Amino acid sequence: MYNRIASHTSPKPLILFLTICFAMVIMYSSAAEATQDITPEETPQPTFTRDGENIVASLIPRAKSTSVLIAFSVSEGRLAEVKGMDFKAAARPEVDGKDFKSELFVVSVADVPKGAETRIDVSSDFFSKSTEFWGFNANQVPSWTNMNADNRSQADRIRTLGIVVRDGGPLDTDGAADGRITLIGGPKDSFWGYALGTLFIRFFGIFLVLSVLMIGMMLSGRIFKRVEDQKKRNAQPLPAKSSRPDDDFQTQRLQDVQSPADRSSVQETAAAVAAALHLHVSALQTDVPLRLRISERNPWTQQGRDRSMSVRYITSRRKQV
Amino acid sequence: MTWEQVLELIKSILITQTGVPNLAIKEVVMIGIAFFFLYLAVAKEYEPLLLVPIGFGIFLVNFPLAPLMGYSEHGYPELIRAFYKYGVEWEIIPPMIFLGLGAMTDFGPLIANPKTLIVGAGAQLGVFVTYLGTLFFGFTLKEAASVAIIGGADGPTTIYLTAKLAPQLLGANALAAYSYMAMVPLIQPPIMRLMTTVEQRRIKMRQLRPVSPREKLLFPLVATFLIVLLIPAVAPLMGMFMFGNFMRECGVVKRLSDTAQNAMMNIITILLGLSVGATMKADVFLSYKPLLVFTLGLFDFVICTFGGILTVHVMNRFLKTKMNPLIGSAGVSAVPMAARVSQVEGLRADSDNWLIMHAMGPNLAGVIGSAAAAGMFIAMFN
Repeated sequence: MYNRIASHTSPKPLILFLTICFAMVIMYSSAAEATQDITPEETPQPTFTRDGENIVASLIPRAKSTSVLIAFSVSEGRLAEVKGMDFKAAARPEVDGKDFKSELFVVSVADVPKGAETRIDVSSDFFSKSTEFWGFNANQVPSWTNMNADNRSQADRIRTLGIVVRDGGPLDTDGAADGRITLIGGPKDSFWGYALGTLFIRFFGIFLVLSVLMIGMMLSGRIFKRVEDQKKRNAQPLPAKSSRPDDDFQTQRLQDVQSPADRSSVQETAAAVAAALHLHVSALQTDVPLRLRISERNPWTQQGRDRSMSVRYITSRRKQV
Repeated sequence: MTWEQVLELIKSILITQTGVPNLAIKEVVMIGIAFFFLYLAVAKEYEPLLLVPIGFGIFLVNFPLAPLMGYSEHGYPELIRAFYKYGVEWEIIPPMIFLGLGAMTDFGPLIANPKTLIVGAGAQLGVFVTYLGTLFFGFTLKEAASVAIIGGADGPTTIYLTAKLAPQLLGANALAAYSYMAMVPLIQPPIMRLMTTVEQRRIKMRQLRPVSPREKLLFPLVATFLIVLLIPAVAPLMGMFMFGNFMRECGVVKRLSDTAQNAMMNIITILLGLSVGATMKADVFLSYKPLLVFTLGLFDFVICTFGGILTVHVMNRFLKTKMNPLIGSAGVSAVPMAARVSQVEGLRADSDNWLIMHAMGPNLAGVIGSAAAAGMFIAMFN
């Protein structure tokens, strides 16, 4: 397998592929430039409902998957109508359509005293502290103006952009002091500011999440290691006492165990222990005591010795209790 | 019936009931592309499990008048459209793939060395750099996110995120992700050698501690608790991934675990591959964006590899026991191919340097990291 991988590691095809790809990208870069504007799939399609004096727009903003609500109200006059407007009609070099995530609105206010000012409040939890409101008037140069909206924080993370418009003023698109105000504009957020900001936050967010997981794993690892060490210590044979093995050890152990399988394993262990003890005692009775040579102290013999000594220790303890 | 009527009938049948007169050049091109991917899968064995169904899906769907990806007169989805609608569009298949992957995964190397999680996070660098770069080429924010996740080298995550954010790019993104995953042994070694010295490549890492079965059992619960609490949007992927792993480690549902690893995984791989391939109709695929997806995807892979190795270099400045920087490249996910590449490069530098188990840590961290990145993107658009 490794040889196969190694045989694939010639960089020539990769370099060739990269060259072709980049050449084609350069060729198509003009096409990309042409499509930098808003894609039709992402164009917000607002629907409007009247809520008493206010009008509420519901729409899925650009670069969002869920819908938001934007409420419109006025301080002076009557809010006659609010409708959506395609950005293409107001596209000018001085603004980037991608900055207007919720598209444009045409706000009509009626019954305003002639030449008077009215305050239009646009509220949503979609707005941020940096959201601005820009107005459009095709008859003005430049057509787009930052309306210096008063960006206020409300309850439930809602922010309100307050815009003051004068009847017949530069932002009243009908241009006449006739008691009717028509404002074209929309909330504006910096597309690149948002993209860059969220990029850093989310990249470091991944570090944060995985760091938290790492700390959790390190802590649980230490706990497990401690538990395992404790278990190992408990499993190690303690020094055997000099008392004799209990005579009725087998009977007592058989009473302790419940299942037939356990019982048979205990019987086998008992037989092995008995055989080991017999060999041990026989060895002691010879003129020259048998001793295990180093080479014979393999894990199997060591385990047998440990088990026999543990059994003797347990039996002696039981007797004491 | 006159001869004229017979000829008229034959003409009508030819036009309305056979594909021959409706076959356009662009469809022939797409069939050629399908053959290319089938060739890669069959002759070169590049990710054959996915590229065979994807290639065949592209092949099938580009025949004119074939009732596969449309809707019937009564509004019922046609065969592959039904797979796509209920499997991909409803976001069922990618989490199910994660369930199977979880059941196949042994998190032992990651649990034994949790520090490698940071490497998995660092290897997501390419995802975010590509996200920004993609925006310069006229992609929308959602499209950019779906292209950027290709660098995570995680097929199901790419499909899940793309189906959610930019379904029009599903075919191109999935194909780019699986193609580059297959080309990991080709893409990564030059970058690995460029970013490390021979001495660094020879660093031997301490043997990993043994991980107890209880620790392995607890891991999916702890990981799910922490990750889903911090990024709820990733719950469908991470939840299924960890559920699959819990089934494996608990040991009392061997039948379920076995089904998740084998039968279920195989079935959904077929459905997923065909569905994804079938999204690549000539009208959708033959435009500049899919081409850019392939270029940016490669760039993404390169930066992710760079990010993983760079993270190990940075970590080594603070660690007493140094890590071999070659394991950083495994942070791009692509399990277990990326870990194998680290192993091969390690052996090249020192024939006694076995890195595979050490590289599996960042490799698994990469899976979690790329799923977390996907969750971050989903949360961003909600």
